[in-house]
Amino acid sequence: MEKELIARVRKRPKIYDLLPKIIVPIAVIILWVVITQLKLVRPIFIPAPQNLWNSFIGMYEILPGAMLTTIIMTLSGFAIGVTFGTVSGLVMAYSKTIRDLLGTIFDFMRPVPVFALIPLFILWFGIGRAPQIALIALGTSVVLGVTTLEAIRNVPTIYIRAALTLGADRGRIYTTVIVPYIIPHLIGAIRVAAAASWGLDVAAEFMGSQQGLGYLIIMQQTYLRTAGIILLVIVYSTLAVIMDTLIATIERRITRWTERRTSIGVVASIVGSS
Amino acid sequence: MENQLPGVSTPERKIKIRIERIDFSYSDNPKDQKVIDDFNLDVFDQEFISVVGASGCGKSTLLNIIAGLLPPTHGKVWLDGEIVTKPGQDRAMVFQDDAVFPWYTVRQNVEYGLKAQKTDTSERKAIVDQVLKLVGLTESQNLFPRQLSGGMRKRVDVARALAIKPKVLLMDEPFAALDVLTKGKLQEEFLNIWNDNRMTVVFVTHDLEEAIYLSDRVVVMSNHPGRVRRVVEVSFARPREIDLKTVPEFQSMRRDLSHEFDQSIE
Repeated sequence: MEKELIARVRKRPKIYDLLPKIIVPIAVIILWVVITQLKLVRPIFIPAPQNLWNSFIGMYEILPGAMLTTIIMTLSGFAIGVTFGTVSGLVMAYSKTIRDLLGTIFDFMRPVPVFALIPLFILWFGIGRAPQIALIALGTSVVLGVTTLEAIRNVPTIYIRAALTLGADRGRIYTTVIVPYIIPHLIGAIRVAAAASWGLDVAAEFMGSQQGLGYLIIMQQTYLRTAGIILLVIVYSTLAVIMDTLIATIERRITRWTERRTSIGVVASIVGSS
Repeated sequence: MENQLPGVSTPERKIKIRIERIDFSYSDNPKDQKVIDDFNLDVFDQEFISVVGASGCGKSTLLNIIAGLLPPTHGKVWLDGEIVTKPGQDRAMVFQDDAVFPWYTVRQNVEYGLKAQKTDTSERKAIVDQVLKLVGLTESQNLFPRQLSGGMRKRVDVARALAIKPKVLLMDEPFAALDVLTKGKLQEEFLNIWNDNRMTVVFVTHDLEEAIYLSDRVVVMSNHPGRVRRVVEVSFARPREIDLKTVPEFQSMRRDLSHEFDQSIE
């Protein structure tokens, strides 16, 4: 057992590392080609690769505009939501009065399914980008608000005691102890919120949007163009993956100080970081 | 008694800290066991005093009360004739656990208190350079704490406290988590620093050898509730070398205190 764990530590040639990672996707693609070539399933359920390509050619001209709309909306909603959520978490931790005032609302809103609010949002903000951005912002801010408050509660008291004896006041402790401490803890929530914001965007665009990728999906559905839907889903996934990778890169830059699990050794192989 | 101003200089020695009838318990229920019960002690200016006692005797609690981090249930702590109500830069603290901020470099940690004081940049730089040199961290000043050993991190902690030039240094078992060799080395280094930069030190530990080696007086605390059981003067000449620990008088004092210590636990 131990021998096996240690053996895994040794560096192997790159191709052997890569192979297990791509074997499943390749199998899926082969399966897809086989199924569609042998016409085992009707193309309306699973279209052939060729259909996807045709669909791409068909949407080629409107795709960049729709992508831009979707990216702008998702990023605006995400940015507003993360900022608002983090700031309200910090403010609630800082002041008991504000915590008492806002805490109940936060607790009440947390379990509310955001999608259920879509009709209300359309009613209040009208059709267009405003209600969609508001929906994304709301969905992400709740996640961040709760995580921020929780992360602040977990700041080890020793750091706060040390800062107090060194003469720091409440405000300074917030900027120099609490914020640096919670950032690595917030990254996980930010990544979840980023992924969720694409989903929220799709939902928002399904309801009364006139542009964007989600709107295109609805159009494809109307004409039963399955290939188009799959293509747009792939576009959404790609955008979400790019965003997640960007956040992970930024995370590594700003949390250089954290004690990372080393990527070698028995412990690493047990927790899956090797 | 209440109207009398404590902490007034006596002809012989100035009293720096007066701990007056301190009680501490975690609940208001009078039936509950007090952690500290009627603790009285005067600490002189520039004195190095150690408080020893078994785990849970309330010695860390006492230190937190002096620091102003915990309010006593009854009684008062006076510092230079003023009642302690909150933490202040006249008292710095070094903790047992790792209290160095891991998100700051060594240098940023050391300048933390000075920034809080809003010391001007050039003066801050001079003090930080001096303190880093004092604890031998000049080379490592731009490293993050995770890149340092436990002993080095403890030096950062001490340097951070020294940088604000406190009148009183409160030390809560600062070297307890270190290995024996590192511990001995840090005791010696710290004693040398203190010798050249005298200040009042209240040092909490359960290591009798450490207490005797460092201190002018050793206070043995009793357990459940925490009280002063005995105060012992340590009159070995300063500066003290590490070899002092092997001198027969040192060992006999240690045996004597050890006996007292055992009885305090019972």
